[in-house]
Order: sequence, then structure tokens, then C-alpha cells
Amino acid sequence: MTSPILEVRKLCKSYDEGRIEALRGVDLSITASEYLAISGPSGSGKSTLLQLLGGLDTATTGEVLFQNAALGSVVNLDEYRARQVGFIFQAFYLLPTLTAVENVQVPMLALDLLPSNRAQRAESLLREMGMEHRLNQYPNQLSAGERQRVAIARALANAPSILLADEPTGNLDSSNSARIMEILTGIQKQRGMTLIIITHDNEIASCAPRHIRIRDGRIES
Amino acid sequence: MASQLSFTGFAWKNLWRRRLRTLLTLWGIGMAIGAFVALVGFSRSFEHEWLRLYSSSGTDIAVVEKAFLNTSVDASLEGKLAAVPVVAQVSPMIFNVIDLTPEVNALVFGWRANSYEFGSLTFQSGQHFEDGKPEVIIGDALATTLNKKVGESLDIQGSTFNVSGIYHGGTALEAGAVIMPLDQLQQLSNLQGKVSGFHVRLRPAPPGEAPDHYLKRAQNEIEAALPGLNAQLASERASNNQFVALAHAVAWGTSSIALLMGVLGIANTMAMSVFERTREIGILRAIGWKSGRIVLLIETEAVVLGFAGGILGLFFGWGSLRLLSMLPQTASIVSSSLDAGHLLKALGLSILSGILAGAYPAWRGSHLSPVEAIRHD
Repeated sequence: MTSPILEVRKLCKSYDEGRIEALRGVDLSITASEYLAISGPSGSGKSTLLQLLGGLDTATTGEVLFQNAALGSVVNLDEYRARQVGFIFQAFYLLPTLTAVENVQVPMLALDLLPSNRAQRAESLLREMGMEHRLNQYPNQLSAGERQRVAIARALANAPSILLADEPTGNLDSSNSARIMEILTGIQKQRGMTLIIITHDNEIASCAPRHIRIRDGRIES
Repeated sequence: MASQLSFTGFAWKNLWRRRLRTLLTLWGIGMAIGAFVALVGFSRSFEHEWLRLYSSSGTDIAVVEKAFLNTSVDASLEGKLAAVPVVAQVSPMIFNVIDLTPEVNALVFGWRANSYEFGSLTFQSGQHFEDGKPEVIIGDALATTLNKKVGESLDIQGSTFNVSGIYHGGTALEAGAVIMPLDQLQQLSNLQGKVSGFHVRLRPAPPGEAPDHYLKRAQNEIEAALPGLNAQLASERASNNQFVALAHAVAWGTSSIALLMGVLGIANTMAMSVFERTREIGILRAIGWKSGRIVLLIETEAVVLGFAGGILGLFFGWGSLRLLSMLPQTASIVSSSLDAGHLLKALGLSILSGILAGAYPAWRGSHLSPVEAIRHD
């Protein structure tokens, strides 16, 4: 049996001094190269789960293990985010003062790469996304679909083993949504990455080989 | 060709997105550094001119009262001082700062007609004054400012003096000064029988005695012969006299206030910038930037502001000194030349200002929780 790349044990997360319980004892195991969709209504705790899986936040109780090592204690969260995880957000969150190719280089500034290597790699990733004609455009000069493709290239900049996408098609029309999903699933297959997608869209969720639903901070199925 | 993004390039782009705010901040720190360069440059220039004043006349030691600038020393002690074996020549003198016109004030020296200190002056027209006569000689810079020629009269505090000569002084202080007979200035200042102090030329050091040792011995011998008086080396007198000390104090005090304002300006800009970029900082944290790198980014932005403001300040400061060196009120004591050490110190201060100003915003930015920062509107 393949060992899990991520494992969640009795994960609880509460806010506002315990008055709001976003996650209530979640257990989950995700294997390397798995494509997993997580869906659920607003406020169900799915984004909180993604943040904890990505090391953006720490659990109130319980733990998240990356390759059997606990995040935040054994595994340094900054290192984990820099080298193992790529984030894709619904609102893209590109830096407005940087061009597309510069945005993709930003995560690489966290690592000791030569500037020429950074630019080369960013350009190659954007070509892979079909953005070779938009390298030097600023985010406000790009369409929503193009912005998300730049954001995907940025998420891949440091060659992470896990790609975490929080509603990646939430701000896109149907044709752009289909294109983005095609890109994400293609990347997952070609690179053998672990892909975890949070989505409201049942159609998207049902395309994933594994689909779990969250409600009131608990996994339903 | 894809453009390469460097860390400093990223910092610069962050600053440049708010051009007006960045330019206003640069202007603020530029003015602060400019004030430092101009004021401290002014006081140093003043000190330098005093030193040249002593060295050009060949004065080795000034004998004055221990605590005061305008000392009032008994003129009759000249004989006792001249009798000290190391002393070659003694020049009793008075100096004061007097308003000649509402706009122009000048250093006024009272010397004897036979003072050795005339050696450093070159007469452009006219001749020496004579003791006991209401005559003055004036420096060429002051003559130009007052539009005075030899033979014309000059009113000083209600008394009329004949301009007997115009000289070229070795220093800016001399070029802008009035020199009159000692007895005339004693009368004008109500200091009959008194002098500000004595300037002393020493005999050459005996063979084998180190110059420093000889000067120290001369000081001790003079102070032993004239108890209660202070024999100061010319170099010490130049830097310790209270005109110079006051100029230094005012320069540093004013510059410090200006620098503090500059630091607050940068701190305000950086704090606002961090607040506005809260979400972006969260994104940077999410994509793997460590908190230390966030600190480095914000500090780099602050230091770039400080450094660029510092360069601007050097030009402001130099321009101000140029202006002061041309104004009649200050031309006699200000030189527009700046030494490299002073400029480096100014630039160092501007960079330090940036580091200090960026410290709190950087700390705040680095301690933002990634999740909360991303949620920030």
C-alpha cells in the first residue's frame, strides 16, 4: 500500500475563543499523486481544511502529517510552503506591480536560485500554460482566465509535490473553467503531483477520482 | 525576452507604485539630510577657518581665561608672558563680533600695530593703521560687501574710523573682518587695560625634543607663570572656542530634529505601505516567503528610501552651503567645500534612518498571520 503524503488526525480548528468550530475532528489520508476534490456548502470548513493542509494555519487540536512528520513541529511551515506546496486561489492574488513573468518568479525569490534561472523557469512555465504571448503584461492587462493561468504557473514555480487549489474556477466563466481544469488535471497526471481542489461545483468535484464532502466541520462521505 | 526579477527590483517596484508618496518621503529625508550637510558643514567650515586663522598667523598657543570666550585678561601680564623662556613673541588681542550695518556683522580684532599676526595679511591698497588713531583696516571680502575704499570712513557703534588699508586675508574669517588698534577697540568695548587674551609664537623646539612634548611643556610653563590662565594649543582653541562649540551644538541639535522628522516620514510611509499591502504580504507568506525575508523586503524598501533621500540631501546641503558662501552675512565664515568624511557620514545617517524607520513596519509585516493577511481587505 502507498504511504500517505498527507495525513490528518482528529483535526479541530476553532475561532473566536472556541465559539466557532470550523473543523470538528477530521481524519483524512491522502496518497502521493492523488487527485482529490473537497466540496461542501459555505462555512462547512473546507477552506479551513485546505489552509491547514497547506501549512497556512495551525490546528487547535489534532495534527497534519506530511510524509509522516508533523507540520509545525517536525516540519517547518515556511520551508513546507516554499518547497512542497503550491497554492492557487479563487481571486488569483497576483501582485499588481509585477508582470506575468515576474509574478511567477516571486516564489523563487524564497529559494537560492540564480536570477537568470528564475526568469528562464518562469518563462518556461508560462509557455506551458499557453501564455508565451503575455509574459510582460501586468495582471490588469490580462483576462480572468489568463490571470489564473499565471497563478497556476506561480504555484508550480518551486516544483512542489502538492498543489492546493481553493475554488480555482470560482471567478471564471464556463469555457475558462473548463480550460483551467484541463490544465490542472493535465499537470497532475504529467507530473504525478498530489492535487487537492476545493470546489462548490459538483460537476468539477465529480470529475476527481476521489471526492469528499464536508458539512459542519466533519467529513460526510 | 522575459525580464528578470531581483529582490531589490521588487522592493523598488513596491515603492514606485505610490510615486507621489515616495517622492514626498524622499523630499522629506532629503531636506533632513540636506540640513545635516549644510549645518554641520557650516559649523565645520567655521572651525576650519578658525584653525587656519591661527596657523596662517603662526600662533602656537592662545592664553585666555579658563572658562570664557570673551575673556577679560589684564593686559599688563604681557611682560610676564614674554619673559617665559619658550615664548618668542606675544600679541595681545581683543576680538568681538560687531554689527556694522543692520545686515552685516563682522569679527572685529584689536591688534597692536607691531603685532606679528600682520604677517599673514597682504595689503591690496593703503597701509597699516597706527596705534592710538581711529583707523581700521578691513578684509577684501568685507570691503566689497560694504563697498568701502581706502580713505573712506566706517562707523562702528557710533564712532567713526578711517579705512587706512584693505588687505587680503589668508582665511575667510580674516577676509570678512575688521582689524583696528588694540587701544581703540579697548575704548570701544570699555575694556581699558584688558585684552581677550594673548596669542603666542613659541621659539623653535630644542633639537631632540619631540614637537608634541615641546608644546605640552610650553603650555605647562606658561600656565605656571600665569596662574589662573589657560594656555591652549591653537588647534584646541580653534575647535573648543565657544563660537565653534555653539555652532556645532546648534548644527547637531537642528540636524537631529530634522533627521527625526525624516525618520518619522519614512516610518509613516512604510507603515502605510505595509498596511495597504497586508494581503500581498499574506500571499508572499503563502508562497513560501519566510518572515525574515518579509523583514528584509520592508527594510530594503526603507533603506532605498533613506539612501535615495540621502543622495538628494547631499545636493540640497551642498547647494545651501554654496548659497551661504555667497551671502554677505555668512560669506566670511562659510566655505562651500565639503570633505568626503562628512558626506559619507551624511549618507551613513540616511541609511541608518531608513533602517530605524523600517524596523517597526518590518516587524509588523513579518508577524502577520498568512491566513488573516490573505483575508484582509
